[in-house]
Amino acid sequence: MASAPAEAETRQRLLRTVKKEVKQIMEEAVTRKFVHEDSSHIISFCAAVEACVLHGLRRRAAGFLRSNKIAALFMKVGKNFPPAEDLSRKVQDLEQLIESARNQIQGLQENVRKLPKLPNLSPLAIKHLWIRTALFEKVLDKIVHYLVENSSKYYEKEALLMDPVDGPILASLLVGPCALEYTKMKTADHFWTDPSADELVQRHRIHSSHVRQDSPTKRPALCIQKRHSSGSMDDRPSLSARDYVESLHQNSRATLLYGKNNVLVQPRDDMEAVPGYLSLHQTADVMTLKWTPNQLMNGSVGDLDYEKSVYWDYAMTIRLEEIVYLHCHQQVDSGGTVVLVSQDGIQRPPFRFPKGGHLLQFLSCLENGLLPHGQLDPPLWSQRGKGKVFPKLRKRSPQGSAESTSSDKDDDEATDYVFRIIYPGMQSEFVAPDFLGSTSSVSVGPAWMMVPAGRSMLVVARGSQWEPARWDTTLPTPSPKEQPPMPQDLMDVSVSNLPSLWQPSPRKSSCSSCSQSGSADGSSTNGCNHERAPLKLLCDNMKYQILSRAFYGWLAYCRHLSTVRTHLSALVNHMIVSPDLPCDAGQGLTARIWEQYLHDSTSYEEQELLRLIYYGGIQPEIRKAVWPFLLGHYQFGMTETERKEVDEQIHACYAQTMAEWLGCEAIVRQRERESHAAALAKCSSGASLDSHLHRMLHRDSTISNESSQSCSSGRQNIRLHSDSSSSTQVFESVDEVEQVEAEGRLEEKQPKIPNGNLVNGTCSPDSGHPSSHNFSSGLSEHSEPSLSTEDSVLDAQRNTPTVLRPRDGSVDDRQSSEATTSQDEAPREELAVQDSLESDLLANESMDEFMSITGSLDMALPEKDDVVMEGWRSSETEKHGQADSEDNLSEEPEMESLFPALASLAVTTSANEVSPVSSSGVTYSPELLDLYTVNLHRIEKDVQRCDRNYWYFTPANLEKLRNIMCSYIWQHIEIGYVQGMCDLLAPLLVILDDEALAFSCFTELMKRMNQNFPHGGAMDTHFANMRSLIQILDSELFELMHQNGDYTHFYFCYRWFLLDFKRELVYDDVFLVWETIWAAKHVSSAHYVLFIALALVEVYRDIILENNMDFTDIIKFFNEMAERHNTKQVLKLARDLVYKVQTLIENK
Amino acid sequence: MASATDSRYGQKESSDQNFDYMFKILIIGNSSVGKTSFLFRYADDSFTPAFVSTVGIDFKVKTIYRNDKRIKLQIWDTAGQERYRTITTAYYRGAMGFILMYDITNEESFNAVQDWSTQIKTYSWDNAQVLLVGNKCDMEDERVVSSERGRQLADHLGFEFFEASAKDNINVKQTFERLVDVICEKMSESLDTADPAVTGAKQGPQLSDQQVPPHQDCAC
Repeated sequence: MASAPAEAETRQRLLRTVKKEVKQIMEEAVTRKFVHEDSSHIISFCAAVEACVLHGLRRRAAGFLRSNKIAALFMKVGKNFPPAEDLSRKVQDLEQLIESARNQIQGLQENVRKLPKLPNLSPLAIKHLWIRTALFEKVLDKIVHYLVENSSKYYEKEALLMDPVDGPILASLLVGPCALEYTKMKTADHFWTDPSADELVQRHRIHSSHVRQDSPTKRPALCIQKRHSSGSMDDRPSLSARDYVESLHQNSRATLLYGKNNVLVQPRDDMEAVPGYLSLHQTADVMTLKWTPNQLMNGSVGDLDYEKSVYWDYAMTIRLEEIVYLHCHQQVDSGGTVVLVSQDGIQRPPFRFPKGGHLLQFLSCLENGLLPHGQLDPPLWSQRGKGKVFPKLRKRSPQGSAESTSSDKDDDEATDYVFRIIYPGMQSEFVAPDFLGSTSSVSVGPAWMMVPAGRSMLVVARGSQWEPARWDTTLPTPSPKEQPPMPQDLMDVSVSNLPSLWQPSPRKSSCSSCSQSGSADGSSTNGCNHERAPLKLLCDNMKYQILSRAFYGWLAYCRHLSTVRTHLSALVNHMIVSPDLPCDAGQGLTARIWEQYLHDSTSYEEQELLRLIYYGGIQPEIRKAVWPFLLGHYQFGMTETERKEVDEQIHACYAQTMAEWLGCEAIVRQRERESHAAALAKCSSGASLDSHLHRMLHRDSTISNESSQSCSSGRQNIRLHSDSSSSTQVFESVDEVEQVEAEGRLEEKQPKIPNGNLVNGTCSPDSGHPSSHNFSSGLSEHSEPSLSTEDSVLDAQRNTPTVLRPRDGSVDDRQSSEATTSQDEAPREELAVQDSLESDLLANESMDEFMSITGSLDMALPEKDDVVMEGWRSSETEKHGQADSEDNLSEEPEMESLFPALASLAVTTSANEVSPVSSSGVTYSPELLDLYTVNLHRIEKDVQRCDRNYWYFTPANLEKLRNIMCSYIWQHIEIGYVQGMCDLLAPLLVILDDEALAFSCFTELMKRMNQNFPHGGAMDTHFANMRSLIQILDSELFELMHQNGDYTHFYFCYRWFLLDFKRELVYDDVFLVWETIWAAKHVSSAHYVLFIALALVEVYRDIILENNMDFTDIIKFFNEMAERHNTKQVLKLARDLVYKVQTLIENK
Repeated sequence: MASATDSRYGQKESSDQNFDYMFKILIIGNSSVGKTSFLFRYADDSFTPAFVSTVGIDFKVKTIYRNDKRIKLQIWDTAGQERYRTITTAYYRGAMGFILMYDITNEESFNAVQDWSTQIKTYSWDNAQVLLVGNKCDMEDERVVSSERGRQLADHLGFEFFEASAKDNINVKQTFERLVDVICEKMSESLDTADPAVTGAKQGPQLSDQQVPPHQDCAC
């Protein structure tokens, strides 16, 4: 056995290693805010700890045969010490996993989630598995502590843990690392990529696990915040404990100028002085002095109590700019004392420095920190060889300033000093204390400082030299131009500052010399020989100040409220519906209640049912029954027979619609087969691009090359002819011209189709499948420029809405009154005047048309009818008008005006060879066919990829989805299918599981949702509303968004609003959220989606703020968080937010 | 500045998360040509046939290392349907590269390439680099657009051309790498004529736009 000194040396070495490792880990934690589990520091830390713990371990304790001594030891400890027992279990589980992973590398993916650690640990990590796990589980310090306390049981006498000094040191060293949290990044290249949303959430959880009740998360935006300017400990609640301790170190934001441990402070009169850590920090604009009791520094209070520790109340944070004087007292027996006096005269508890020149060091650091703007007065003296020393001053300073006199005794060696902190650069902006006259300059800070009488006026006067500059920035005066933006700030400051200003010195001064002067009535005996202030004047001034501030505060609040009312009142229902009255709605709408309601519809009010749904959702089993009511398929209160009636109607309508589009689809399929075959052939033959394109385009437009060419030449001829001669031309080939006519009509419609395609086609890459639209664009680039250009001329002219509109009207009239020639003539002439070229063509076309269009076809689109075109084009049309009139009777005026393009989609030409005839004998215009084809393709693309991972969407059910979507689109072909519609239909179908019912409900749902799609205008409104809401409810977040620019677009919530959060949540949650949205319309807000969106933002607001996310970060974050939100929490928060807005408006 | 010659790609362990350059890249093309799959294949090396249609916009970040520079790629995935054009074109601004994609089994998506290229010219910055990609080249049986035609069109438009498959992981990485190369080339060209101070390593997305002076003449 080695000698005792050698043993001691070994112990010290072991301990030093641990110290070093601990330091490194803590450093990493501070600089990077998180420590990675695989950090090399952790591995070396574990090794160091292991060495300590094994040092001098009794053989018996380690187990003779065990290869892993730590395991044996910990398991043994586990018998008496529950945390170690827990740990043993966990590590053994882990070991098993590793074992099985070795045997079977695959198949562990499912376990990964449930386990705290991934089992793919590095060999080094596995070596220290026990220590490592204990560290991550935060029990390492406790176990070591236990070992130290019971060391005699496990250790030989020379062991480190047996040592009465070193043992406890080791245990307390481990407290720090055990308080940290460790993260596991998903990818190996974590240094490279931005952290995933997962990682951010995890880090946040780590970070804010100690967040207190009054953390910013819970901070109500409009309530009055305490922002003390002079309070010493107010920074603390806004930070988590961890943040706080971290903030004491040197970090990226603040420079640590000075730090000294074991500085004594007596926090309360009835207490002993407490040692703590005094640190001086400098950030860009402020210097802060912090004192933290040792109890908080090393976290020895215990995890649970840590946050609630009374020591938090003793910790101090002092902004140096508030400090005017430093009273320094040097005592013979102790190191020295500093008392800080702030501009309001309040004395801080004295800091007692340990012996050994620490006071001087502190002052010297402080002086350096104050540069370049501020300085100590008198300055410290530099003395060769000694560095800074206290100035050697006699009674009077050379400047004659009373404050800079550092001694109040006539000692040769001054032991007490008063330093003033001055900012020579700042010009005095002292405002005379004429507070009655100063209406808006609330910024005259000095006047209302409560100061112990003796020194008051002087303090006031001096303080004012630099003070106004500060007050101006912290106290926005309510000048007219800054009324609306951030009024609550103003109010917070103005109101919340009052108490602190009022408060007299909160502690009894413990600075002996000053307390004398402070408590004395002014005729002080010491060096503070100030003039006496008329106390009454001071009090009066203070009173006026308080009144004026209160007034402005109130004014600002009123203005803010009025802003809130203007912007937000439309967003919520003003009636606040309680979650508890008449009964607790937390259970939602249950099957029992619903049954009762169906049985007797008077048993529950509609409003009551909605309230239940709003607060608690619908029991999943009865969703199918309730949703049709919520969506408006049924009305509440309908009898069963009435409901049956509705169902029958819907079924009939659905069947009818299906029949129509199925017919259309048959033709489309036929056409496609041909074109596809051609494309394949083309591809294999390898023909040149141009000719192929060319051919395709012609095929697409269902016009043969030959005919279109001939008609183009025909048209060119027409140009040269007069009105009269054109008619002869036309009869050359009736069929061909008819085709042109169809095509021309189509093209003139094109611009009006709401998807915004332009005729020349240059900006519509996805216009889709065979359409005459392609045709025209193709033509313009290829061989037949004459035709296409002429067409576009035509388009432009015919589509002038002012011309078309009256004509439509007259046509309607004519048709309903059985078509008189005279009325027809009028528009005809109107046209003719317009443009000779156009009228030439028109005349030409109308001739053909009336040759070809003989029989009318009831093309069964309720809201679409033909014929405006035919009507006004055919000048000599008695026969024709009669044919058309039947269809026109069913015309819906507003649809007509919105979508005039529809009018001609259903062409009534049985004689037309071009228009295909479906098996049912119905014909479809080529335009309709094209349009439908395009939509059919889009629908199919989306149906195929609609939630294939969800159990419901079997091929059979996907077919249903497709049928419903096709039916809906068929009825709304003017809008057409837009990506995302399938997402809206899918949950309805899952719940309702009935095609016709889902169709009807979807139609109802789309009435609201349609507006969110690009063709509607609701999205921008949503964004604007979100903006207002965030501005008012979370100004801090709003500022961040502002600062990061682009944010204001709120595109990150685009998908939320577009799909009612369908892609953000898992299916079960979607159901819940949707029914809440529907019910909310009648219960709390018709814009409930806004509040859900806001709640989603608010749930993660801290993460967003912490990471200073910009627009792209937040998009990425939310895209990654999709389907992982805590929906219950979000919904609750959303309801609370509604409530908050409601109360704001109500002003209660 | 990095030369445009072929260089080693790879990831290097580094302790800071900064990067030297950030390239914003957009993937555009008709709906269901495989934009999202392509992006997932590149960024996550995964493929699932069960992708849903993209509405609005999404993006992924991938950082690569080349010529001693860390390049952060911010790859935006757009909705293909023209209804979303108003939204997606807003993102063209500031994009340094485009992957214009069509589906070799879909004639229509190929026919739309010309129009997409017009979109790029209209809404993006002149120097933006474009690669034409014919996706789904694993589906040879259903091919309707021959490679020859793709190449011809690319030549015509002045883009480089790739055929790729996100499903079988053919040419995906190569496409992105080539695009990065092309952007770097363009950048060094621009930088040769520009203030050399700009070539220094920059951090933060807000600076990426400045790295290439915006008023260069377009070479394509």
